[in-house]
Amino acid sequence: MKKITKEDIEKIDPLKKDLGKSWIKVGMSTCGVAAGADEVYATLIEEAKKRNIEIDIRKCGCQGACSVEPLVEVNVEGLPKVLYGRVNKDVAITILERHVRNKKLLHDYIFEIN
Amino acid sequence: MQKKIIYLKDTDSTQQDRVNDFYTLFSNELRDTNLIEQASVVRIADMGLYEKGVAVKILPENIVYTGLKNTDVKKIIEETIKGNKVIKELLYEKKSKQMRAVLKNCGYIDPESLEDYLAAGGYKALAKVLLEMKPEQVVEELKKSGLRGRGGAGYPTWMKWNFARGMNSPEKYVICNGDEGDPGAYMDRSVLEGDPHSVLEGMIIAGYTIGSSKGYFYIRAEYPLAVERVQKAIDQAVEAGLLGNNILGSNYSFELEIRLGAGAFVCGEETALIASIEGKRGTPHPRPPYPSVKGLWEKPTIINNVETLANIPQLIFGGGAKFASIGTEKSKGTKVFALTGKVKNSGLVEVPMGITIREIIFDIGGGILNNRSIKAVQTGGPSGGVIPQEFLDTPVDYENLGKLGSIMGSGGMIAIDETDCLVDLAKFYLKFCVDESCGKCAPCRLGGYQLLHLLEKISEGKGEMEDLDKLKKISYAMQKASLCGLGQSASNPVFSTIRYFEEEYKKHIIEKKCPAGKCKALIYFKILPPKCKKCGLCFKNCPSAAILGSREAGYVIDPIKCVKCGLCFDVCKFKAVTKE
Repeated sequence: MKKITKEDIEKIDPLKKDLGKSWIKVGMSTCGVAAGADEVYATLIEEAKKRNIEIDIRKCGCQGACSVEPLVEVNVEGLPKVLYGRVNKDVAITILERHVRNKKLLHDYIFEIN
Repeated sequence: MQKKIIYLKDTDSTQQDRVNDFYTLFSNELRDTNLIEQASVVRIADMGLYEKGVAVKILPENIVYTGLKNTDVKKIIEETIKGNKVIKELLYEKKSKQMRAVLKNCGYIDPESLEDYLAAGGYKALAKVLLEMKPEQVVEELKKSGLRGRGGAGYPTWMKWNFARGMNSPEKYVICNGDEGDPGAYMDRSVLEGDPHSVLEGMIIAGYTIGSSKGYFYIRAEYPLAVERVQKAIDQAVEAGLLGNNILGSNYSFELEIRLGAGAFVCGEETALIASIEGKRGTPHPRPPYPSVKGLWEKPTIINNVETLANIPQLIFGGGAKFASIGTEKSKGTKVFALTGKVKNSGLVEVPMGITIREIIFDIGGGILNNRSIKAVQTGGPSGGVIPQEFLDTPVDYENLGKLGSIMGSGGMIAIDETDCLVDLAKFYLKFCVDESCGKCAPCRLGGYQLLHLLEKISEGKGEMEDLDKLKKISYAMQKASLCGLGQSASNPVFSTIRYFEEEYKKHIIEKKCPAGKCKALIYFKILPPKCKKCGLCFKNCPSAAILGSREAGYVIDPIKCVKCGLCFDVCKFKAVTKE
């Protein structure tokens, strides 16, 4: 990686931060990992590849709602941003199939919706 | 027109769930008005609202209505879905009680990516400091902000930095204290795991301000993920030229190294922490001299908590005055709490100083589990105290919590309900401190042990009234005579539980009863023959074969064999087993 200069930093405008249109974020702090987030993350990556679903899958830190870990946040174009709680392997696959591919929400696991 | 979605949830927990009734009402109404194509109704698991009646959230407009009655359904369909109008009377103004400043990136950026942190505005504060500000100006900003140490004691950060800055020494050190050890507290871990670069940035700014070129991250070895992510962040920063020589083209150089704590609670105390980094045994030594005068390797050193350092970038970037606009008169900014115990939504919350404890527990935490009533709140871990429910409306800041006999501490907040015994709680924390006492000074080593012994005596039903005075006396002696913060504060849980719950202690001592049913020596299980249906379930489940009898003759509990596990009480479907 090349050295960052002062101009590089000043150029960035955090308000214009764009994560892209479709992404999935998995909470991967100790609270999440203890509840099985690494398995969910691995499943998402593996199954997305297997099913030819193109989506940006990323890790993130603790969102604060530790009682409903593992948390998976999904943003798909045309749908509201949804935070799913208590996600396991099976739910992760359902998220890919239902939410990402068929653009339908998984009502039983919605924890927050924006 | 975009299709509307109506999310539906009954947020009351006290009565029967009405969500299905409303679901039918909404569905019928949509069908009758031929709006099925334009809107759909969805039942969801959680909305983030509690005790607000039946609530709906309508997207894409994001309108929230609460406290709905059956008659409102028609109105909502008519006006909001069809007419696109907002019904003012039902509208719920969402005021989030939380304010995310330190945690603003946690859960939003990838902690293992420097690009993500930069895209979120990271290292802008560092660029500003290195290229535009003098160290004095940084101290001035800190002074204006009123930031106080988030580790617990609440010492003004600017004073600490200013002392170290004024010292004339070629070598100075910056240490980040990540030795978070309070039971039930994990704020620092989450910051280190979720946003390590913000702490790094805070440390580099601290180093520049005091004129240091070397910093240490002291993280406990029980946080392997935090260690891994911080190491990754350091490597990325070195590669990008944010650490090392001539940072961002300035003539300032700084390097960072991780040191692992081996799990001793006392190493969170600054002098013990320094000894641990130097490779010595982790025991505290008397202050003064304070570390800012004579610290690591006898050189001026500043030690700041993870959360304090994570506050620095946004403070510098936004300016001290903006930071000071949040909070109370003497406590500024926000504080992260780890909300645990008997609360519905446990987790990390970040709130502005001055919010009441009730708001944290009920509005953010969603109230107490199983609809029990709250008895007290414990803050500050083993060094803190309990706050009984009559003081729940106290605004949270350093002074107020101190007045109530507790402390802000690093930010653990544990909700205690009516099934928790305060004697048992005090015993738990004391046991922790006795285990973790380093043994260097007598008040802590002997006093803690004696206190624990007295509490055990009380919880076994062998307590005498003099014991209460003895407890108070020893607690006082420990507070005054111990060498470091651990011993001085170890008796706080005892002190504050006696202060507010003396009655409960007296019940243990005089009546030999534990009102909460926690102290095993003081409870007895009994089977009530009139209620017993002789099903034999308790007989089958008893792990110690203490239940005697047969399906014909009925059952009794043998008090000698009984281990008081409470399993029979839990499994009995007819409430025939009593606990007293």
